[in-house]
Amino acid sequence: MTVEYVDAGEAIDQGNLSGKVPGGDVAPPVVRDVGYERILNARSEPQNWLTYYGAYNGQRYSPLDQINTENVNRIGPAWVFQAGTTGIIAGASTYSFEAAPIVVDGIMFLAGWDGWVWALDAKTGVEIWRYKHAVPFDVSLCCGNVNRGVAVAAGKVFVVTANAHVLALDATTGKRVWDRTYGDVRAGESATVAPLIVKDKVVVGSSGGEFGVRGHLDAFDLESGEHQWRCYMVPKPGEPGSDTWPSDGEAWARGGANCWITATFDQETNLLYVGTGNPAPDFDGAVREGDNLYTDSIVAVDADAGQIRWHYQCTPHDVWDYDSIGECILFESDGRKLLGHFDKNGYLFVVDRTNGELVQITPFVDRITWGAITRDGQVTAKVYPDEEGVPVHFYPGPAGAKEWTHAAYSPKTGLFYVPVQDVGATATRRRREFKESIPYWGAGVQVDIEDMTGSISAFDANGDERWRWRNELPMCASVLATGGDLVFAGEPTGEFNALDARTGELLWQFQCGSGHHSNPTTYMVDGRQYIAVPVGWGAWSEGFLPGMLGAGHGSALITFALPETS
Amino acid sequence: MTTAQERAGLLDELGLDAQNKAALGQVLGTGTIGQATERSDGRMEATVRIRPDEISWDPSILVMPHGGDLELELINDDLNTHCALLPSNGDRKFIWLVNHSRGKAHLNLDGPGYYWFSSPTGNDEGRGLTGAIVVLGDVPPEARLDRPNQPRP
Repeated sequence: MTVEYVDAGEAIDQGNLSGKVPGGDVAPPVVRDVGYERILNARSEPQNWLTYYGAYNGQRYSPLDQINTENVNRIGPAWVFQAGTTGIIAGASTYSFEAAPIVVDGIMFLAGWDGWVWALDAKTGVEIWRYKHAVPFDVSLCCGNVNRGVAVAAGKVFVVTANAHVLALDATTGKRVWDRTYGDVRAGESATVAPLIVKDKVVVGSSGGEFGVRGHLDAFDLESGEHQWRCYMVPKPGEPGSDTWPSDGEAWARGGANCWITATFDQETNLLYVGTGNPAPDFDGAVREGDNLYTDSIVAVDADAGQIRWHYQCTPHDVWDYDSIGECILFESDGRKLLGHFDKNGYLFVVDRTNGELVQITPFVDRITWGAITRDGQVTAKVYPDEEGVPVHFYPGPAGAKEWTHAAYSPKTGLFYVPVQDVGATATRRRREFKESIPYWGAGVQVDIEDMTGSISAFDANGDERWRWRNELPMCASVLATGGDLVFAGEPTGEFNALDARTGELLWQFQCGSGHHSNPTTYMVDGRQYIAVPVGWGAWSEGFLPGMLGAGHGSALITFALPETS
Repeated sequence: MTTAQERAGLLDELGLDAQNKAALGQVLGTGTIGQATERSDGRMEATVRIRPDEISWDPSILVMPHGGDLELELINDDLNTHCALLPSNGDRKFIWLVNHSRGKAHLNLDGPGYYWFSSPTGNDEGRGLTGAIVVLGDVPPEARLDRPNQPRP
């Protein structure tokens, strides 16, 4: 006798099994009226954190001052969001929580690793909706399953995925509005960048510089998702800059220069300022003789046309993996429109952002042995892997004196605050044939596991160091500066610190249970200021701190506030 | 050493073709392989089932010819309750599969690449109920790099 099957019905969204109450899975339409004008004036609504850096200028500064040097020792956890992990995911051993939480009128929009996006109540931490993109287990990831956050505008949340899609989600429901593929996973491309909204466009860059791809920046129409422009960061033969690549062969086609960190933007110049990644292969320069433009460069791109207007190359013919993806912080000094950039190569570059003219260069880390750059910009390489099979040790290591994690600038103090990694590495050149999708480094690399240090260092616009807060380990997380004269900085060992912005004195500390490798932000709801920090150690820790490879990952977002008064 | 042709025989000889013979469960990747079929509208369909006492998806590797929508029939012929957590753009899909039950899931997946699916109850995932969905194909032409064709492995 045949027994009929029990009808199991249809599979449902896993998110429906997360304790939501009816109607609780729809966010108020707080993003409906967010657009270019509001983002241009983002710091005039300090209760919100509307864009990746807090404002187009990349300063990671909030004027909020409810939490300040006088009372920061009384702040404590307000709520914790635990993302957790289930199932088998790409980069299961390398995922990391890197995002910058975006907050609009009491709603937080947050991206995690492996295609996660959440909308949370910013006052309580309760999840409103979630979006989960299916990320292929076998996607090429040089450095971990990570994502640096979302952008919001026009009622939508924009995010990229590890398999190089850019998505627009409905900000009230988390449902997908449009989805475009802008990278080739078979070529080793991926995406990790937080999108940037500029006018009617969403701007994103590509990852994959360790796989011999050709880096690019792309713009899509906010509403329709229609592709607007693509700007390649390695020129084709015959294009400007192509004479910095070998005239024979296809080194240019594998040249790297990926834009994997969010650009800054100046409305007056109409320029995007984006740092580009390393050339490929990272350490074998003999197969790509020349300066290799526009790798390791600060590149100014016309926001409407998507064309390069000027560039400044920080490490010509890089053979140390010194991406220049670090943020370009816009500031003014003595009436000049300037740009400050802390590079992986250990130098702070200050450039006139109207034309790319060098203003000054200053080292910001103690140990620099790879070479030297004079104050007028002359670069001399000293130690590099140029002989097959011969180990070469140099400072800083390939993760740089500062990794991608961001410095901050306080217009109130006039100081930059930079997370410093003082750690070296040994590279041994090992030439390999290029094959699409296979890592293309050209060396074996081992980062030092001993004799390392770190700091949060404060520099003024002249490049003079004003104070230094020293740490036993490199500092590997973005810094946040506030109008309360505070600098927040997380440690690899889990401590989250508040420093006095004027002196560097440690004023407060909280052990978060996992190392920091993210972008803390701050916001206010109902008159209460919160500091929000994603906590989840991981990513390319063998690059910036191999001594912490065995540390637990963590997957929490923790917010801090002063005690409620009632 | 072995060859691909000897694989089934060696799995049997070593006791790796069933649970609680060589290992405790069914070792991942030792199950069957199958292909989704494509309808005229481009949507795809397939069936995966759990056979009695095999603690393995059949097929445990399901191949889709390209990215897109998949209608998946799930059948539990086992004498125990399992479930399925499946990858899909938007959110992962979950379904309970009590003994002798049948259900459906609608999935949307990008190609190319592969994804894991599993029965996330007890240690079904470690015992063998972890399978893969492989999506063939290439990214759209507009997403490819502007460069000459490059050598591949």
